[in-house]
Amino acid sequence: MAAPILLSPPLAALVSAWAQPLYAAAATAGFAFLFGLGRKDATLAALGAAIGWAVYILAGALSDTASGALFAASVAVGLWSEAVALLRRRPATVYMIAGVIPLVPGGGMYYTMLASNEGNSWKAVELGLQTFSAAFAIAIGMAVASAAARLLEPGLRRRRKGNQLPRL
Amino acid sequence: MDPEELILLAADTARLVLESGGETYRAEDAAMDIISSQGGVEAECFATSTGVILSFSGPDGRVRSVVRRVKRRAMNLEKVARIDGIVEELRADAIDIDTAALRFGEAERIAGRSAAAAMGAAAVGTGFFALLFGGGWREALAAAAAGACLSALSRVMTRHRLPDFVINLCGGMLAALACLCARELGLIDDVDKAIIGVIMLLVPGVAITNAIRDTIAGDLVAGLARAADAFLAAAALSAGTGGAFGLWHLFGGSF
Repeated sequence: MAAPILLSPPLAALVSAWAQPLYAAAATAGFAFLFGLGRKDATLAALGAAIGWAVYILAGALSDTASGALFAASVAVGLWSEAVALLRRRPATVYMIAGVIPLVPGGGMYYTMLASNEGNSWKAVELGLQTFSAAFAIAIGMAVASAAARLLEPGLRRRRKGNQLPRL
Repeated sequence: MDPEELILLAADTARLVLESGGETYRAEDAAMDIISSQGGVEAECFATSTGVILSFSGPDGRVRSVVRRVKRRAMNLEKVARIDGIVEELRADAIDIDTAALRFGEAERIAGRSAAAAMGAAAVGTGFFALLFGGGWREALAAAAAGACLSALSRVMTRHRLPDFVINLCGGMLAALACLCARELGLIDDVDKAIIGVIMLLVPGVAITNAIRDTIAGDLVAGLARAADAFLAAAALSAGTGGAFGLWHLFGGSF
């Protein structure tokens, strides 16, 4: 097909790859504002989302499963959130919940719905499982990041009373 | 502060954490920390996304307990962060319990966004999500307009205390119909990308992720409750968008 294109395909891909973290950051900033965060916190959460999306693109180029890339990206968002939380002395979950939004499988859910609406049950089941494993990969990534933060910063974190295990 | 007041304060704080979208363990820890900071012993708290059960023994040896239901949930991370900070200070003995009670009250009264601000933020969020998921600028503008409408719609419906299921159903329908209309008018080409951008406002992606996180952390009942909540939201949203596609087809629109 000889469609007129302004940019050669690899260059266009590179441009869109550069722009995507910015889009992720802008979208996250909007959602963080909706979630009640102030300007500083919303900006920090948006930065986390941009980092997460950049890692997602890079890991996606290296790994052949979507879940692997999502796992890496959510570990990045989680570590960023923990680091920012230490500096700002606020709970990490504030930055995590907002920063992880671009990664959550909204599109997966939509396409699952579309497939089941078309009566294509097998495709719906397949997409549904993919969506669930994506959510699972994100949750594990965040848990791993939190656990790593607990291990790396024992002095800065309050020790839990009694002999309970630290929460992930 | 006498033990009765203390347990009510602790339970209301846990309820507020849950209402604002905080994790289950954060609500439990906040309640137990408030009580133990005042010398209460054997404080135990059991929280799920729908309620809090809290009990402790006072200095007089009598056991007190209270139940708080969580009925309305609205994500407000600023409240979660504020409460966390107050509990931290209380634990470090930096403030006394009466000051803490005052500041918990202040945190509870933090106002949500005004309607216009929420619509603007929703438009920014949905527009850029449409771009991020592969839509063009025209899809992004359509998604932003639909996102602002969706924000207004869910605000009105929340005010009328409609259940989340109905809000998701109608929201999904609005998102799909708005984007289908935009395509029919020739404003956008890729209706899927625009719809996905808009329904990011409603999809329970964060809820599902949090459900799994709760489960990993050992809060099994809370995790299951959140998973059910997320599943129901996804089902409502699917029914809404699917229903809108059905209606569109019924009245002769093309896919």
